[in-house]
Amino acid sequence: MQQSLASENNVLEKLREFGIVRKATHNAFIIDVFKNKLYELCRFLIDELEAYYSTSIGVDERPLNGSFAVYHVFVSDKMSQYFLVRLEASPSHPFVKSITPIIPGADWAEREVMDMIGVKFAGHPRPYRLILPYDWPSNIYPLRKDFDYNDKYPVKDMVDKVIHGSTDYVIDKNTLEEEYTAVPIGPYHPALHEPEYFEVYVNGETIVDARYKGFFIHRGIEKIAESRLTYDQVPFIAERICGICGFTHSTAYCLAVENAAGIDVPERASYIRSILLEIERIHSHLLWMGVAFHLLGYDTGFMIMWRIRERIMDLAEELTGNRKTYGANIVGGIRKRFDISEEKIPHIKRLLNSVKEEYLKYIDKIVSMTEIRKRTREVGILSHEDAKKYSVLGPHARASGIDTDVRKYRPYAAYGEVDFKVPVSDEGDVYARIIVRHEEVLESINIIIQLLDNLPKTPLRAEFNYIPEKRTAIGCTEAPRGEDLHFVITGSENKIYRWRPRAPSYNNLASVPLMLRGEKLADAPIIIASIDPCFSCTDHVVVIDIKTGRRRKLVSR
Amino acid sequence: MNRLRILLQNIKRGVVTEKYPLEPIRVPESFRGKPVIDVDKCVGCGACVNACPPNALTLEEDLKEGIRYIKLFVGRCIYCGRCEEVCPFDAIHLTKEFELATTSKDDLYQIVGLRMYKCPICGKPYTTIRLVKRVIDKLPPEERSLVLICPDCREKITAANRSFARR
Repeated sequence: MQQSLASENNVLEKLREFGIVRKATHNAFIIDVFKNKLYELCRFLIDELEAYYSTSIGVDERPLNGSFAVYHVFVSDKMSQYFLVRLEASPSHPFVKSITPIIPGADWAEREVMDMIGVKFAGHPRPYRLILPYDWPSNIYPLRKDFDYNDKYPVKDMVDKVIHGSTDYVIDKNTLEEEYTAVPIGPYHPALHEPEYFEVYVNGETIVDARYKGFFIHRGIEKIAESRLTYDQVPFIAERICGICGFTHSTAYCLAVENAAGIDVPERASYIRSILLEIERIHSHLLWMGVAFHLLGYDTGFMIMWRIRERIMDLAEELTGNRKTYGANIVGGIRKRFDISEEKIPHIKRLLNSVKEEYLKYIDKIVSMTEIRKRTREVGILSHEDAKKYSVLGPHARASGIDTDVRKYRPYAAYGEVDFKVPVSDEGDVYARIIVRHEEVLESINIIIQLLDNLPKTPLRAEFNYIPEKRTAIGCTEAPRGEDLHFVITGSENKIYRWRPRAPSYNNLASVPLMLRGEKLADAPIIIASIDPCFSCTDHVVVIDIKTGRRRKLVSR
Repeated sequence: MNRLRILLQNIKRGVVTEKYPLEPIRVPESFRGKPVIDVDKCVGCGACVNACPPNALTLEEDLKEGIRYIKLFVGRCIYCGRCEEVCPFDAIHLTKEFELATTSKDDLYQIVGLRMYKCPICGKPYTTIRLVKRVIDKLPPEERSLVLICPDCREKITAANRSFARR
């Protein structure tokens, strides 16, 4: 304990060379970096502290301190700490230095800040639009505080200001040496029946390059949460970010607010959160396996996996009253009706054991089939180095030999109290991703049983008076797809000032073009699906039909 | 070989699908379905309106007629049950009803209209009669008179009292 404290002090001492360091919450530091030391600091964090880049967040802090701010979040599994590298940009000249040249994983996050807040990144290699549609006016930034969530713009004005041609998803023909054919995949389907668009360039059967275009379903929920929802209402919209792993989002949001306000969640609430999170993970992994087998043309496997998953869905329904969107989370704990009564525990354990038995009976036979092996082994390889460079997360990272798991290395909810192992595989191919997820299902069942055995008897919700203003905090959970990070700045009047969820697919998707290169076109769907992409999570728009000028209302009052 | 074993296991497992909607489907005890307002218990305090995340519950006042409406539009409802949790008078409950498809939008509305109580000084309706009755019962007699006046007039009176006291 003493040693870790000493080393923490050493680190802080070192960090002070790069900027002004202040503690945000018990697990996060904010570093106001000196302008000329940015790259040095990033290298220090990555090389010396073995931290990895997670995401960047832009905040319109003009009402607070008169400038825009950009936070680059670095995560250190070794120290269980978050380092928020904060850059300021003046409102009159909003420019900051880009970190994409040294950290390629920052590409999207920086472009999102450019789109939504209007802070420009000097030195960004591809400073094009990412999120906003191409016909969005060039000088309107939706996440600035002077943009009201219900703002209507005069249509004529808007059409005049439209910018054209700032697209980057059309490949530059000169960069390809050989002839190629472009094959569009999307804007619907390949993996999970969600809108996204891959343009795959092929030479004969072999993929030369690929581009991804997404964010078709950005719904502007951050804006709604910041503008009209109270702290206790946000968990319900957070849960609707994803139709598969929603509960992990509402947990991450609640953790962030609880960290900001210094609320200690009662143990029983933490345990129930963990139980529900693991139920969600099992159903998500089983769903993914079903989809993966379906894409490989093995529909029996798909049916079997979904049949087993159905029993987990029934369990979720019994515990929470709903198959999905449990709605159990609230700032400070768990809602009363989601308590797990003593009588239910033996029944749940029996059900889990029988699910495990049934699952094992099938899965071993399925993964040892020659066809499955031939279609997945040495397909879609992501090397350990590339995985690190692009900060990929979750099972995707673990299949490439990165030992990372928020539950293990930055325990939240009740994960500090249970014993489980983190499956890691070095192969980095699709098969490794199946095996990693397969082992995680078994670990999850194991975790739930441990938690049920030791369910403490405490109240379900912490008592607290109010949530202090202007606190910055991070809430982080291990979603079925990887680290799910929520960034929060608390505000006044029972409302949040800034909230940004960053789903794991945001980081994972950037690695898909890498994996596709050199593969056969027929393998593209399974490679894309192998990261278990969740497009809705990645997208978070205000929809304006430019022809009719009709603005689709987000919320009616 | 594996394939054969899987086939045998599947045959042994039998049919797992259900015949819904041809046969009714069972829902669990904790199921969260359509919320129903108990008209007799509702006092129109608006606690549910404040808590409702998607604004399915709204509060509207017809000051001319002196009626307060609590409106529930199930079309917006997300079945979270926050209204049930916050209601101080146990007047709204989630039922197990989930087959809500209809050809008329009106079927999705529940509207409770409550007569409002007028301020004896300015004559403006400011709360419901039921709520006033509830509050009065719980207060000691000497504090009752202030509750019977609207917040604006109450402020004026207390301000006048204060300046009087200062003199």
